[in-house]
Order: sequence, then structure tokens, then C-alpha cells
Amino acid sequence: MAPPETPQPTTLRHAFGNVLSVFVLLLIGVFAFSIRLFSVIKYESVIHEFDPYFNYRVTQYLTKSGVYDFWNWFDDRTWYPLGRVIGGTVYPGLTLTAGTLWRILNSLNIPLSVETVCVFTAPIFSAFASWATYLLTKEVKGAGAGLTAAALLAMVPSYISRSVAGSYDNEAVAIFALILTFYLYIKTLNTGSLFYATLNAMAYFYMVCSWGGYTFIINLIPMHVLLCIVTGRYSPRLYIAYAPLVVLGTLLAALVPVVGFNAVMTSEHFASFLVFIIIHVVALVYYIKGILTPQMFKVAVTLVVSVGLIVCGAVLAVLIALVASSPTKGWSGRSLSLLDPTYASKYIPIIASVSEHQPPTWPSYFMDINVLAFLVPAGIIACFLPLSDASSFAVLYIVTSVYFSGVMVRLMLVLAPAACIMSGIALSEAFDVFTRSIKFQLLGSTENLQVNNAGESTNVAQNDVVKTEKNEDSQKERSSRKSKKKEKESTERVPLVSRIEQKLLVLPLETSLIAVFLLVLLGAFYVVHCVWAAAEAYSAPSIVLTSRSHDGLHVFDDFREAYSWLSHNTEVDDKVASWWDYGYQTTAMANRTVIVDNNTWNNTHIATVGTAMSSPEKAAWDIFNSLDVKYVLVVFGGLVGYPSDDINKFLWMVRIGGGVFPHIKEPDYLRDGQYRIDSQATPTMLNCLMYKLSYYRFVETDGKGFDRVRHTEIGKKYFKLTHFEEVFTTHHWMVRIYKLKSPRNRIRGKTKKSKSKASSTTSSKRSGTRKKNPWH
Amino acid sequence: MAISSTPTAAALLLISILFLLTTQGTPLSSDTIVSELSSLRSQSSTGVVHLTDSLLRRILSLPTPRPFHSLIFFDAHQLHSKPELSLPTLKSEFSLVSSSFQSNNPNENPQLFFFDIEFQESQASFALFGVNSLPHIRLIPPTASDLKLDSIQMDASDLSRMAESMAEFIESRTKLSVGPINRPPIISKKQIMFIVAVVLIWTPFFVKKLISGNTIFNDKNIWMAGAIFVYFFSVSGAMFNIIRKMPMFMADRQDPSKLVFFYQGSGMQLGAEGFSIGFLYTIVGLLLAFVTHVLVRVKNRTAQRLVMIFVLFVSFWAVKKVVFLDNWKTGYGIHGYWPSSWQ
Repeated sequence: MAPPETPQPTTLRHAFGNVLSVFVLLLIGVFAFSIRLFSVIKYESVIHEFDPYFNYRVTQYLTKSGVYDFWNWFDDRTWYPLGRVIGGTVYPGLTLTAGTLWRILNSLNIPLSVETVCVFTAPIFSAFASWATYLLTKEVKGAGAGLTAAALLAMVPSYISRSVAGSYDNEAVAIFALILTFYLYIKTLNTGSLFYATLNAMAYFYMVCSWGGYTFIINLIPMHVLLCIVTGRYSPRLYIAYAPLVVLGTLLAALVPVVGFNAVMTSEHFASFLVFIIIHVVALVYYIKGILTPQMFKVAVTLVVSVGLIVCGAVLAVLIALVASSPTKGWSGRSLSLLDPTYASKYIPIIASVSEHQPPTWPSYFMDINVLAFLVPAGIIACFLPLSDASSFAVLYIVTSVYFSGVMVRLMLVLAPAACIMSGIALSEAFDVFTRSIKFQLLGSTENLQVNNAGESTNVAQNDVVKTEKNEDSQKERSSRKSKKKEKESTERVPLVSRIEQKLLVLPLETSLIAVFLLVLLGAFYVVHCVWAAAEAYSAPSIVLTSRSHDGLHVFDDFREAYSWLSHNTEVDDKVASWWDYGYQTTAMANRTVIVDNNTWNNTHIATVGTAMSSPEKAAWDIFNSLDVKYVLVVFGGLVGYPSDDINKFLWMVRIGGGVFPHIKEPDYLRDGQYRIDSQATPTMLNCLMYKLSYYRFVETDGKGFDRVRHTEIGKKYFKLTHFEEVFTTHHWMVRIYKLKSPRNRIRGKTKKSKSKASSTTSSKRSGTRKKNPWH
Repeated sequence: MAISSTPTAAALLLISILFLLTTQGTPLSSDTIVSELSSLRSQSSTGVVHLTDSLLRRILSLPTPRPFHSLIFFDAHQLHSKPELSLPTLKSEFSLVSSSFQSNNPNENPQLFFFDIEFQESQASFALFGVNSLPHIRLIPPTASDLKLDSIQMDASDLSRMAESMAEFIESRTKLSVGPINRPPIISKKQIMFIVAVVLIWTPFFVKKLISGNTIFNDKNIWMAGAIFVYFFSVSGAMFNIIRKMPMFMADRQDPSKLVFFYQGSGMQLGAEGFSIGFLYTIVGLLLAFVTHVLVRVKNRTAQRLVMIFVLFVSFWAVKKVVFLDNWKTGYGIHGYWPSSWQ
């Protein structure tokens, strides 16, 4: 009776579990997507901040001109008159992904705009990322842990902060690529299949295309391989997982223009090559050990070890020579500051000054991974019991990423998936123990009554528990199931024995109930926190601003107002000067040429603009005119109290300008070391272009000229502009656009002098234009 | 040098000699002063001359332009214990500049002397320069006659990057080249040789042991403890404390007798604060792991029950405490979004 019956419920249960898993995963994907839509609901479908605007513009170009033109794109709309080679200086992964998505949708006759595709790329990829997390965690600790980890990742605030709808930046796709690469590595390690090894190299290629953070992968995987070798866990599977990745991965990485030969020339990649050599030596040793007798092997060992040492020594010498020849020892400043956390604060003030490169304090962890911070240690311990290749990789991942996040708050993003995996494992193990305790003790009485078919009744009960708790079978149960299949004759006995064994490993009923309740409470708190973080903290697009006051909600849409004014009222080839923060937005939204933008590759150029902003009108006009600038754009928050305006950034303009042009001196703008714009301000400050353009006619608004950001009345209220004229000021005065007056206005009675100075051709040209526009 | 041809200078000299004779009783000559300073300098291991009131007076009594610049480090032993001033570090950096200058410019007639002056014994000199806050480093150019006005104070920004920025300051103000700073290596060459030799000898034995599998590296409990420790270290924000050199606790501004362990405001944390929260973060996970992996194997029901109650209580308290402290520190009001019909 029993043997034909027992396989049926197990396969049925298995199938049911699979269907349930797929359904849960689908829900997780939907959830990951929808929690990131707060920014669209609260604001609108708009691209956020600064860098995403550049990516958006590149994507537009890609969809319009095709891949080859994109690859060779020289952009003349920025860094005028230098221009910028876009194709060779960007990570193309994100752009190509969104471009492909758009193309597919269009070929399916779904006519979405490029902007819509860009806005929703990040939420789509966070759904993918949570599925990849499921796969990775499943390889490490089984499906139950995988589902929990995927659910946690779908809403982890740290990841939400970089992937809300509209946040169209590299990290949006890179985190998915990172997790996928790790999954495929573990999958190869568990199966030893070359197919997965090749896929792994492809995933690594996608990661290299997407984000500079790929160096984390190419250092973490070699570290794990080395760890496996050192702890005596070498296997052919390890070789298959690692060697193809290094060979194929490096070749593919070198194809990305922005990486190129860096893939073999910089120290960030050397660890992988060193481990590549070591794994070959070890593989050779194992091979020889396999074909030789133990006596012969001892002789061979000395030979191989000596030869291997010589080879290693030679390679090491070459590497050291290469490394020593570069001043920073081949490491970039950011990598160095990870190894030696005090490095950046000592030697690279630019890196140390950026806010996302600061070390985090403990509230940052609570904000970004919330209650996962409590669960991770339990996950780490669970990974050690028992330790497998996969779980040791998970431990290595969490340890390195948590250390790096401690150095730079930005790398919290890399920590988040690891924390989710660990917490998923911890939660799943804890639920496993507690629900088991509850189940066996509640069923204890019924089991006594039905001694004869105890196996069946508990099977059914188990099904119920799976249904209600969403908790997949643990590895122990799985192994018992495997043994069931093997020994078909004793199918009745084995589950009984294992069940009795498990029955001993239970906790008291009532405390288990409380524990489950508290864990659910913890999870609920996590959900509340994540939803709050997604809705309140991370959804502001910073291009549209809102503020709540007693008389309701105010929307400040001045930036887009100004950019569309530019695009409608100026010539296509006009040049617009502004501080570099607004460069990407101006090129993307107004389609006008800018002098500097957020890709701060040329310090001199930025310093030139900074100098112009810090100079008096006449000198500034000369600088701008020499750069063919027609319009100057300043951002001013004094009327509405928008604190990150140009006046607050002005000291940086002075500093950067003074760094290249020494006649700009910071103390000239400070009164007794204090930065002020009231009547105590220095004359240099009150006469510089930035002050004048920001506060021109400001006194007309309230009669006093009270600045709501600096909380003072301004120092100089009534003045006229001589070389610039106001052409547009937005509704809340947040963006003000000025036009450079044409030279004739400036001369006024000195015409003779300037005529004699100017060359004949220009003067004739000028007189020609004057005839055309006598009133201008 | 001392004998001057012009009558006015001679008269000046005479007056100053008379002045000096009445006060010090030593004959005035820049040569003698320079040679005295040189000998004092050679006595000091770092080349920093200890300045006293009388020595300063004699230097200043030299006719301007004096043949050398003086760079004076104002020191106060009683303030060495105050960490925020970091006087000992600055002093060692100062002597580093001095020794580097000396070794890079092995000149018989030095153009620049490094001095340090102690507050307790030379309060008059401090008053003379009008120094009332430390750290303070001042350069006296050869032409300076009025100490307060003509001498140049080193900016805080020049102090910040240690010896290198001090050298830049000297180079920009005196046109003298300090040259590269010769920092003494942390461990001497002999020690490095010794360590390398030990490591080389030890490596083969270690590798052999490693292969046979009985070192501490093959014990997974060590790895586990290490991983947990790294986690604790990072989430407690210890890296922030190291980089920013935060103290463990600080005195209350309003009431200096009270100690502040928790700082309100999310941009900063104190050392003890970070470690205690890191401990709370870690303890919950450790207890959970203990329950799921160790406690289930315990046979005694009562023991299980008691430990479980303890664990649940501690975990609940820890989570509650962290949530409370986080809300207090950051000022965020985290709230759920319930259906409006529920309210």
C-alpha cells in the first residue's frame, strides 16, 4: 500500500511549492516596482537630479542615431569650445539597456517616449534584482531563504534611494548586474558547468559596462577563490568557476572603451591575475597527485613547488616593478581610501569633501538597512553551520561590503544586497525552528491517536504549514527527501526517524509563539520604515520642488520654466554660462551649448567660469564674451528660501577660480573670515557678478531686500547693470537669465578709441550690424 | 660687522650696545648670536632651539635686518593633555620640518632658525607677541622690528596638513627651500630586515601546517568570530570615529561636570555612542542565532523556557532602544500609511 502512495504527495507538494514560489516571486517583482513609484505619484513622471539628465540625453541620442554614432559621439554642446568625447568616456550599460528596451517596445507597437522608458528603467531593474537575489540566496541556503531575501531586497531603503522612478543612473542597473554575477559564480561553483561559467563572464561584462563598481567583483571573487584554496576546499568546480571568468571577463571588459587597457594595467585588477596563477599551480599539484603514487608524488612536490615558486617570483617581480613605476602605486584615490580609510582625508580633499564619500554614523545604517542590521549576525552564523563554498562566499561578501560601507556612506548600496541575503537566511532559519516547534507540539496529541498512519497525517500537516507560512522546506527536510528516493524500500522508516530526530530539536510552544509574533512585528516595522523612506525621504526629484506651509502645498517648477524659456527664446547655437551643477540639465532640457557641466573633467574651464562669476561686471563680461557666451543663468533662492542656490555655492566658485587665477582671493570676499551678503559685506563681494545677477531688482519684491536663505537684508539694494540685461526671471525668482549686452552699448562715447583698437574687419562688421539694428 | 663706517649707524649701535650692557651685560654681535644659536641647534637632536625670554631679547636686539629668519613654535606643557589642540603632534611635525631643513641645507650660516618657547617659563615673550591662543606658530622676518605687526602668523590651514604645509609656508614667506620632508620610517631598517627574515623562515612551516589543516585558519569558529567582529566594528561607525578622531565622550557645554555620551544630530556621533549601538545591533542577531542553533539542542525544557524568555526580552528591549535613539537623534518621524477610513 504505502510505497506507491508516498511519492505522490511529495511530487505534488514539490509542484505546489514551485507554483507558490513563482507566484510569490511575481508578487515580489510587482512590489519592488510599485514601491518605487512614489516619486511619479507625488510629483510626475520626470527624470531626477543632475546626472540622470545626462544619461537621458545620451539615450535620446542613441535612439535617434544608432549604436555606431553613439560609440563615436563627439558632443559639441558642452564644454564649449572644447567639446567632449561621450562614446569613450561613459559606462554605456545603462544607456544601451534603456535604448534596447525602447526599441523592443516600439517594435511591439507600444509607442512610449524615451523619457518614459528612462524613468521606469530603475524600478524594472529592481524587480530583476530581487529575482536575482532569490536565485543567489537559493544557491546558498535554499528556496525559503531565497524568497525571504528577495522580499527584503525589494524594499531595502538603501537600494530604493538609487532606484526610484526617474532616478536614471548607473547604479539602477548595476546592482542587478552585481547580484546576477554573484549568482552565476555560485551556480558555476555548485554545478561545475561551463555553460554557467560563460554566462558568468557575460554578466560580468554587463556589470563592467554599467558601473565603475565592477572592481568590487573582480577583487571579491579572487579573494573567495584564494580563501577556498587556503582552507583546503579546492575542487575542479572552483577552477571552472574562476578561470573562464578571468580570461573571458578580462577580454570582454577591455572591449568597453572607458575601461580599455585599464583591465590589465591597473592594480585594481592585479589580484585576479595573481589568483589566476595560484589556482593553476594548485590545479597542477592536484592533477599530479592524482596520477602519481604517493612516493612519486613527494618527489614531484618538491619539483613543482620550486618551479612554481620561481614562476610566481618572476611574475611578482614584474608586477611590483609595474606598480612601483606609478606614483599612486597604480591604485586610484578612491580605492586607496578604501584600503586606508584615513588616506583621503589626508591627501585628497576633493574626494574627502564629497558628502557621499563620508564615513557613515550609526543612524545611517538604521536609515538604510533598518532592522536588517539586527538580523545580519544571525545570518552570518547560519552560513557557518554548515560551511559550504557558497555560504563562505556570502560571508565574504557581507564582511567586505560592510567594511567598505563603514568607510564611505555611498557603498551602503553594495552592502544592501548582502544584508538582505544574510537577513533572509536568518529569518528563514528562525521561522523554520519556531514553526517546527509549534507544529510538532500542537500535533503531538493527534499523532498519538493515529499511530498507524502517522507519516501521512504529518505530511498533510506540513503542507498546511507551507501554505500558511510561505516557508519553504529546509535543507534538512530536503536531504531526508533525497534519501527517501534513494532507498525506496525503507520509505516508511526514514521520514519517521528523521521526524523523531527533529521532534527532539524543538523549543517550548508558548515562547515560540511569542518569538514568531515578535519576528513578524519586526518585519512589519521594516515594511513601514521602507514605505516611509520611499515616500518621504528618497522620492524628491530636486528638479520640481514642493513645500508645505499652513496655506497648503506649494510647487516650485522654476527650473523647467527657465529651461523651456531658453529653448523657445534663444538661438540654437547660443551659448549659456552657468555654474557646472546646471550643465547637464541645460543641455538636456534646453538643448543649448554650455561652458561647463557636471562631468568636471577640466578644472581650468570650471575655474574660468568661477572667475567670471567672482569678477566685477566688466571683467566678467570680457571673460564670457571671449567664450562666445550669450546668456548667463544663475539660480537664486533668496525669495523662496531655497538653500542650495548659487550664492551659497559662491565660495566654491571663488576657491576654484582662485586656484587657477590667483587674482581672485578668497579673503576679499569674506568679512573677518565670515561669508556675508548684508551691509557688512566687502566691496568685492557686493560688486561681483554673482551678487549683482542674483540680487538685481530684488529690493522691488518686498521693498527691503530680505534674503530668506541667509536671513538678512542684502547689503547693496539699488544698482544698475551695465554689461548685462535681465531677459527672464522665473515665477519664484529661482532661475534668472541675463543676456550679455552687445559691445556697442558698453562703449558709449569712447567709440573712437575702441575703433582704433579694433581690427578693421570686426569694426566694419559691427557697423554693419548696427545699421541693421540701430535700436539694439 | 660690528664696526660700522657711517656715524649714524655707529651711534645707533652704540646706543643699542649701551642698552644691552645695562640689561644683559653681554656684548652685541650678530656673529656671536648666530654662532651661539648654531651651537644650540647642534645640541638639539631635531635642530629646534629652546627659546627663553633672555635669548629672545638678545636676538631681537640685533639690528634689522638680522641675518636670519626665526620660526617660533609657541608651546605650553599644561595644554598637551588637551586632544583638540593636538600640540604634541604639531610639535613633532615642527621638529620634523626643522630636522629636514637642517639635513637638506647643511649650511654653516643658516638662514632660518627653529625655536620653541614654553609658556610657563617665558610668559613675557608670549605677551610680547600678543599670543593668547594655541596652537600658534610665528615667523619673524629679518626686517621685523615690531613683533606684533611685522611677524607673520601661520594660518590654521597651513597647520592642517602637517609638516608639508608648514614647509610650504616657509617657502612662500622666506624664499628658503626646506626640501623634502624626511619622515623617519615607523620601523627602522634593521627591524624590517629582521621581520622579513622571520616571515621568510616561518612561511614554509606555516604552509606545511596549512596544508595538513591544523592552524587557526582552519578553525571556522575563528572566521566566524572575525566576521562578526568586522560587522560590529563597521555598523558601530568606528571608521567614522577613526577618520574624524572623535572622542569617546565629551563634556556638556552647559554643565562641564556632566559627560555627554550621546550626541544629537545625525551627522556626528561619539565613540562610546557608536560602540553601544553597534553592540545592540549585534546582540540581537547573536541571540537569534543562539536560539535557532544551540538552544534547540538543549534537552531540559525549563532551561529552554527561561533562556527563551530572557532572549526575547533582551532582543525586544534592544530593538526598542535603537528605534527610540534613532528617532531622537535624527528627528525623523517614521509613520505608516493607513487607509483614511481607519482614522
